[in-house]
Amino acid sequence: MGTVIRCEHLTKRFGRTTAVDDLTFDVHPGRVTGFLGPNGAGKSTTIRAVLGLDTPDAGRALVGGVAYRDLQQPLRHIGALLDAGAVHRGHTARAHLSALAAAAHIRRDRIDQVLALVGLTDVATRRTGTLSLGMKQRLGIATALLGDPPLLILDEPVNGLDPEGIRWIRTLMRTLAAEGRTVLVSSHLMSEMALTADHLLVIGRGRLLADVAMADFVPPGTSLEDAYLDLTATAVDYRTQPSQGTRP
Amino acid sequence: MPTALSGAVASEIVKLRSLRSTWLTAAFAMAFGLALSIADVSHIASSWPRMAAADRAQFDPVGDSLSGFSFAVLAFGVLGVLAVSSEYTTGLIRFTLLATPRRGVAYTAKTLVVGSFALLLGQLAAFGSFFIGQAFLAKQHLQVSLTDPGVFRAVFCAGLYLFAVTMVGYGLGAVLRHTAGAIASLFALVYLGYGAAKAVEGWSYLPSKLMLSNAADTLAQIQPHPPRPERVPSLTFALLDLALYLTLAGVLGAWRFTRDA
Repeated sequence: MGTVIRCEHLTKRFGRTTAVDDLTFDVHPGRVTGFLGPNGAGKSTTIRAVLGLDTPDAGRALVGGVAYRDLQQPLRHIGALLDAGAVHRGHTARAHLSALAAAAHIRRDRIDQVLALVGLTDVATRRTGTLSLGMKQRLGIATALLGDPPLLILDEPVNGLDPEGIRWIRTLMRTLAAEGRTVLVSSHLMSEMALTADHLLVIGRGRLLADVAMADFVPPGTSLEDAYLDLTATAVDYRTQPSQGTRP
Repeated sequence: MPTALSGAVASEIVKLRSLRSTWLTAAFAMAFGLALSIADVSHIASSWPRMAAADRAQFDPVGDSLSGFSFAVLAFGVLGVLAVSSEYTTGLIRFTLLATPRRGVAYTAKTLVVGSFALLLGQLAAFGSFFIGQAFLAKQHLQVSLTDPGVFRAVFCAGLYLFAVTMVGYGLGAVLRHTAGAIASLFALVYLGYGAAKAVEGWSYLPSKLMLSNAADTLAQIQPHPPRPERVPSLTFALLDLALYLTLAGVLGAWRFTRDA
């Protein structure tokens, strides 16, 4: 099976709002692809469509050439970090991983491996409701890595992590890409993205604004943040109004 | 052979077993039902010698030994609701569907696991409460045996009723995806529906015959003798009631579950 994530004319509407509008792109293996866009740009909807959680209104999303819902062993093929809340508060970290390992016929010793990998061995028997945001984020990463998949989609992976954790996840993503895996990462943190991503996909209002190598996107002497804000200046749905002053 | 369904079933077993709320709700349902049933039969046994003939005629050695579960049944329904609604309220459903992307397979696995647990728990409650109740009734020689006519049927059907209400809760949880809303609807269906159906009895007894609680009166007693016999369905009708509720819960739940989460 291939290791490309492909969206072809992907369109998703919610009522009268078009969240994703005729989006076409490929995500290639061997590099970290940053997925950028303002709030409401359609990043999460795109990710949900790729993962078979949302049914597109038009177009399609393929994982290694196959629609997610047709994958035989999805967790062994693609791992996903969704927002850290997607665990049952009443499950222990180990039970959460055990349930998913059982569904995917993944050997039980892999659970201990990923728990050790993300540094959660000591809290494996605690209910997830008692874990900090950073620990939940690590559990999410353990979940994504459970099936040792060649493709990974990580939605806001550094959310809630401390500086040590941020450096750890950055190194992890670079290592995973260097191993030849496909890594798609969404984030709003431009400085972090500048350190991690090789390639960028930028969307705004559901449309593709840029599909470009990091080196080509950021001209010498400027920052990723400048380049990004220039590009998305016309595609921001939610913006604070310029200050009118406090006097009447 | 490892298949998507066998994996999904194993996954659902881990999820149900690992939740403290599963065991707390099950323990509460059992304890509440048993305690009320014991209170009922021990009162009957102790007051039997001075009981009026009219009251004695109302006595049902099976139905009375299970009477607590007409209230505890709600806890069974809550168990069914939580088994599915908590996945939506916590967001876990997304990982469930990532692991088992074919919705039909995921729903089948969950229904099989929750259903088997509910059936086991329901029969455990019915037979447990029956045997404990008979021990109390034996003091006045009022007890019956499982081999007496109609007794096994009544106890087994009582377990079926508890199973059915659990699955109605499960179906409501799947349809509404919201714990409080599903529990409120369950309460309305099981308890308020009884009153609503009674209100229209001037026109028709059919709504009353369709009520789960009236079906339970027929199913879980040897000789039902309710104050208003018209209200209570026949044994066949009552079994059809259960089948109807189980089918509706299963089909509506499946319809909603296979829609985007």
